Amino acid sequence: MKNDGGANPDVQQVMRRLTRIWGEFEGRLRSVSIIADAHAGRIRLSDYRTLLKDHYAQVIEGSGWISRAASSVGRPYLEQRSLFLRHAVTEHRDYEMLARDYAACDGDPADLDNARKNLGSMALSAWMYHRASQPNPFDLLGAMFIIEGLGQWFARSFADAVTGSLGLNETQTGFYRYHADHDPDHLAELEAVLGSGVLDIPEVADTLIETAAVTARLYVLQLEEVGHYG
Amino acid sequence: MRTAYITGAGSCLPGPAISNDAMEAYIGTLSPVHSRLGRATLRHNGIQQRHYARTPEGQTTHSNAQLATEAIRAALLSARCRDSRLDLLCTGTTQGDLLVPGFASAVQAELGIASLEVASFQSVCASSLMALKHAMMAVQTGQSEAAAVSGSEYSSRWFQPAFYADSYRDNPDPGIEFLRYTLSDGGAAVIVEPEPVPGRRNLRIDWIEQRSFADRFPNCMYAGTATNQADALPWSVHASPSAAHQAGAIALKQDFKLLYELFPVWIGYYLELLDARGLHPADIDVFLPHYSAESLGQEMKRLLQATGAMIPGQRWFNTLSERGNTGSASLFVMLTDWLNRADPKPGQRLLCFVPESGRALAAFMHLTVV
Repeated sequence: MKNDGGANPDVQQVMRRLTRIWGEFEGRLRSVSIIADAHAGRIRLSDYRTLLKDHYAQVIEGSGWISRAASSVGRPYLEQRSLFLRHAVTEHRDYEMLARDYAACDGDPADLDNARKNLGSMALSAWMYHRASQPNPFDLLGAMFIIEGLGQWFARSFADAVTGSLGLNETQTGFYRYHADHDPDHLAELEAVLGSGVLDIPEVADTLIETAAVTARLYVLQLEEVGHYG
Repeated sequence: MRTAYITGAGSCLPGPAISNDAMEAYIGTLSPVHSRLGRATLRHNGIQQRHYARTPEGQTTHSNAQLATEAIRAALLSARCRDSRLDLLCTGTTQGDLLVPGFASAVQAELGIASLEVASFQSVCASSLMALKHAMMAVQTGQSEAAAVSGSEYSSRWFQPAFYADSYRDNPDPGIEFLRYTLSDGGAAVIVEPEPVPGRRNLRIDWIEQRSFADRFPNCMYAGTATNQADALPWSVHASPSAAHQAGAIALKQDFKLLYELFPVWIGYYLELLDARGLHPADIDVFLPHYSAESLGQEMKRLLQATGAMIPGQRWFNTLSERGNTGSASLFVMLTDWLNRADPKPGQRLLCFVPESGRALAAFMHLTVV
């Protein structure tokens, strides 16, 4: 095992606080009704379709707020800006995957054109755009840690649960499985960008933690409100 | 408040050490598919040998209470503590020999020591730390002058083929086979007193902390119900114990996927504790986890490193691979082995970690060698 002697303590401290928020967040996910019901074999295909549609409506905003964040980044942080830009591209791929899953679950693709954000997604999206509009919004790295952590720790068990409960195949759970397979490398990327000087900006560490905590709470809200549009 | 010290430790690992090749003579075989799942488990858990409180012919050599008793006898000897000094007995186990009454009563009866207060703690791997915390507080508050604390398990009785519903032969479950090929039998104990024993090394108990996450997770390791769904019937409300048995409500089970989800929550708690206690991994001389470094996933190691919380591998002390996973006894088995092998030095700081998948709790203990 590698000794952590050479690591950056400021980065480690932020990672530690983020991981604590993640642990609290992940613990809450299991008791959200759509997740608990999927594990208990108590959901129908229509419930899963609603979840896919709600995620579609939310994820389609993802490339929007990330691009907004990229445009809020100024000199001398141009390297970090390109990181946001790369993420905007991957978010774009996300909603295409959700659309394929939706169609594979007998959903009418036309539904997605009119898909509305649920009550929680409205709050989450508004929050993300708000933060993304601030100058040099590196606190959003905290939000990205929470959202991408879902892929690493949570997506596979959820995909397995709905697969088992509804007799689905891989083409119907592509979005969750893709994230389970591809998100684990985000940790190194986050460490690198945290170590690139952004933590020297006054108060950015505390704001980053706060943004992660708020994002985690709103993400849970978005799952609690699946199917509720006001 | 007084300070509590561990003044002695001992273990009882019954019979000879049983190798991986020989273990099926003790737990039996269900089918080639079950055995294949078992071999996969052994590759993962790294256990090389273990002990069983039974013969290959199926004769029980030690009850659970006898395992605890022999361990307490060894611990009393190591603390040079006469029976008459003892005034408190706290036991931890996953499941006693009997459903009723409490396990500590059975252990006191086996010990044959008079005038004891007893406390029975039933949980899973962390039950012995719950018992130790009770003893620690009793000693600290002047309510006990010498307490014996045991952790013990007779796990292998659960794993006999006839313990499973008939239908289990045709429906092997990786979670059940994981437990059959991971858990084994043994007891271990410590003695807690308000003064260190002169002429030998003692362990000061600095703190024991535990947190349960049962508010947010279903059962992960459990027996007494067929599934971990909310509507699954407890064994005791089936028409009869034999009906419960055939419904699969008796077998000991593990929900593997859920187990994976518990790690980040345990790590979150560990990080919180480090911060709350102002503890730095570099300050820990010895880390005794009820978990082997080999089976800690790469992702977990990576997360611990990224958060500056990884205790370097050379400071991990763990005898799971040679002693087997003895559940609630495991931590005290490791402590006993460490005290006997390590030549403890005054001032050394030990951090013990016991995750309990049962319904998602984790316990930590900090000790200092005096």
